[in-house]
Amino acid sequence: MIGASCTVSRPAFFLGLALGIIWAGAAQSKTITLDDSGTTALDPSVSLHWKSPTPPRSGADNLMVGTTTIRVRINVTPWLRRTARIYLALPAQPPGPIGASWVAQGRFLSGQVQSGNRMLIYTGPITSPFLEDVLQLQFTMDGTRIRRAFPVTFHFEMDEG
Amino acid sequence: MHDPSSLPPASLPGVTPGAHRSGSARVGLRRVLCGAVLFGAISGLARAYTVTIDADAPQTIYLQVGVGSFTADYCGGTTYPPPHNTPNCGPAYGGGTPQNNATINLVSTTVASAAVGNGTAQAMTTNSTATNSYLDGYTFCSVPGQLYIGGFFRTAGATTAAAQVTATVPAALTDAAGDSIPFSKIQWASSGLGDTGAEPFPAGTFVNGGVQNVGSMGSNSWNESCWTFSYLNNTVPPAGTFTGVVLYTMSAP
Repeated sequence: MIGASCTVSRPAFFLGLALGIIWAGAAQSKTITLDDSGTTALDPSVSLHWKSPTPPRSGADNLMVGTTTIRVRINVTPWLRRTARIYLALPAQPPGPIGASWVAQGRFLSGQVQSGNRMLIYTGPITSPFLEDVLQLQFTMDGTRIRRAFPVTFHFEMDEG
Repeated sequence: MHDPSSLPPASLPGVTPGAHRSGSARVGLRRVLCGAVLFGAISGLARAYTVTIDADAPQTIYLQVGVGSFTADYCGGTTYPPPHNTPNCGPAYGGGTPQNNATINLVSTTVASAAVGNGTAQAMTTNSTATNSYLDGYTFCSVPGQLYIGGFFRTAGATTAAAQVTATVPAALTDAAGDSIPFSKIQWASSGLGDTGAEPFPAGTFVNGGVQNVGSMGSNSWNESCWTFSYLNNTVPPAGTFTGVVLYTMSAP
């Protein structure tokens, strides 16, 4: 009986270990939307204008661009004294593909992103409860998709692991 | 770096909090409870920001018959740096911005007395100096034999019906003595250097008084043609100088 008991418990041990490894893998990919409730846009709305006022003969250049300034303030208190990689995420959203590019003032990285993607905006140690910077943000979109005013949503996120 | 204490409230117009995001991992009762409390604390503060975007002055129309005006020059389209030295580039090194030009150009011909009414069409010339397209600087028309007509209809949103260009034509050209020549005695051919296919402003003949369509412009594309006018010369009017003014109008949906 004793011998039989040992034979049964060993597979159980290995099974438990395997589950633990699987769980750890899932935890590494968890993405957390950060608390950026202190972030404000200095311009209440963004007016897009034609990138080129005159259209081409082919009708293929219909890009519109518009800029705004946002003061980003991200609460990173839970990750103090840790190293983080923080992204600006621009989800895919109606009325269609939209691009965003930004120029940071030094704390964050400048960059650009197309909707449905994210771009690294900060990497390094977290040494203070808040990460702050001012971004000159420019949106670019095909003007033929703009039928009325529409909202564009973005957020900041990090992968915890 | 700015002073956080001077930050305006987070609920500015156009900046609104969005939906929360959440996630969890199932790993035993104790871990689940702890994770839920911790995650609740984080996700309860998480925000997504919504910036309201709209098209500024979504419609722009431009019609040029004869000479026109632009504020900037062509600098090579989207090519950077510009392929040639043009100091006054338009936005994105593309075309410039259209301006108003109130010039009324003249198209005329002088028929020799021996040829009056012989049925041989008489070529007309213009005092317009417009030869190059303001789109890209391309030499499109030749003067004085051709009159430039072109423009565009810029509009945001889905493709709409084409903008229409009409001519408001008097019944006749008249002279000081009150004699007249019907406007229908004037016709025009349409072409453009390097053009193939149909012209956006096709050939035609004036009506004798009224409004007639002379072309159309699809949205968000540049349209242009060069008109070559001629006088049919198949009647014998009294000697004189006959004039009339045609008004061209662009109407966008």
